[in-house]
Amino acid sequence: MIETVQKSGYLLVKIKIKEANLDVSETFKNEMFELINQGNPKLMVSFDEVAYVDSSFLGALVSVLKYAMSKQGDVSVVDLNKDINNLFSLIRMNKVFKVYNSEPDVFA
Amino acid sequence: MSHKFKKILLLDDEGFILQVISKALAKHGFECIMANSVVQAIDILQHETPDIILSDFQMPIIDGFEFRKIILRDKRWRAIPFVFFTSVSDPEHMQQGLDMQVVDYIHKDTPIPMVVSKINNIINTIRRQHEKSIQEIRIAAEALNLRSVPAETPQIDGFQLKYLYQSFEDYPGGDFIDFIQVDKKHTFIILGDVMGKKWGAWFFSFNFLSYIRSAIRLCVFDGNFSTASIIQKINRVIVLDTVLGDVLSTLSLLMIEHETGIVHYTGAGDLPLIWYKTSEKTCLPVVSSGLLLGAMPEGQYDEKIIQLESGDQLIIVSDGMIDFETDGGKKSDFDLFLKKMKIVVGHDDSFDLIKNVTFSPETSKGFIDDSSLIFIEKN
Repeated sequence: MIETVQKSGYLLVKIKIKEANLDVSETFKNEMFELINQGNPKLMVSFDEVAYVDSSFLGALVSVLKYAMSKQGDVSVVDLNKDINNLFSLIRMNKVFKVYNSEPDVFA
Repeated sequence: MSHKFKKILLLDDEGFILQVISKALAKHGFECIMANSVVQAIDILQHETPDIILSDFQMPIIDGFEFRKIILRDKRWRAIPFVFFTSVSDPEHMQQGLDMQVVDYIHKDTPIPMVVSKINNIINTIRRQHEKSIQEIRIAAEALNLRSVPAETPQIDGFQLKYLYQSFEDYPGGDFIDFIQVDKKHTFIILGDVMGKKWGAWFFSFNFLSYIRSAIRLCVFDGNFSTASIIQKINRVIVLDTVLGDVLSTLSLLMIEHETGIVHYTGAGDLPLIWYKTSEKTCLPVVSSGLLLGAMPEGQYDEKIIQLESGDQLIIVSDGMIDFETDGGKKSDFDLFLKKMKIVVGHDDSFDLIKNVTFSPETSKGFIDDSSLIFIEKN
């Protein structure tokens, strides 16, 4: 359900599903933990193909961030559609994650 | 037929059979996901959870036996009812299949209406069993007095307090609600949502609610009535708690001063509170700054002071309320919800109107998560 692209200083993780919900949140978390364990603590998650995110998936994303931080890493997000971007602002997830409009050259 | 238990994964290497069976089942309200190889079926199972798997037996490269073994090895899939649909009628093979905990063995020569009846029977049996199990757990939870929503709201002079709660597909969920009248002058209102759905979230909602109830009582004993201070204390405990370490929750915490009409509000990753000001006839969102409980040690919690005048109304909601099913799929839209609320606030019967636009039997069907709403009005 994810695809990765190595970028300068971080790994770009593309979510390959339309609805990021409870059904996939556990698999997503496990796959992300695996990436961190393989030595990729700096991850940027692209929501380019995602139309809807539920609270279970957001919970999994925060768990991944906490795990990455425990390994001196970070998780940021990019390519949020308008609805998801609004949701991130409404519930202050934009203070938990760095939110990018487009993929940056360097992980800030 | 119930909208639950209707998704079938059909696996057959012959496209014609897939099409025929799929069409016949679709006529009876089933949603069929088709796969023409085990590899494709496994790929589908990575992101879809069918209610039943109907699989061919003889297939090139990986056969039905091997597929069944793969399914049994994976804890995510092993509980999905599995039926072999095959032209093999050799008793030894059939026995081998049945020994692998398959629910049934349907021969491909079986007339299509009978195949549909068999699938219907299996699904109905599973559904009845499932409903029975849920009912038993619900009875046990009732007996243990495990409630994540209160039986009734307290009566406070000068205020109306009401709430609405709808669980998702009748499963208990992660939403929790409570009203704590700590003394004659102060009442705390709690609305939270443990992230996740169904049983897992429901179970953790009690832990969160216990922490919150204790924190409020302990702080009040020490003369601390600050909602921001209370939430910050709760958050620090939750961040350190190893059991809850991976569980996150939203929280809207309000404290009403009965005599002055002042409401103190602090939010943790929650949706904005909606405030209808009768003197200005305006309906505005009040946004809090705090982060989800358990996300970060410093939750950046602020405390909004809302002076309610007679006729003013407050609405707080969980995220299930702003999720909508549209033609293009699911979406979360707070602005659309706010628009709906603007029409119904400011009336004598606002609560009933809110109930009609949000919790009517028709709109409740569209809920895709458990949904809660608390309504407060100053008399």
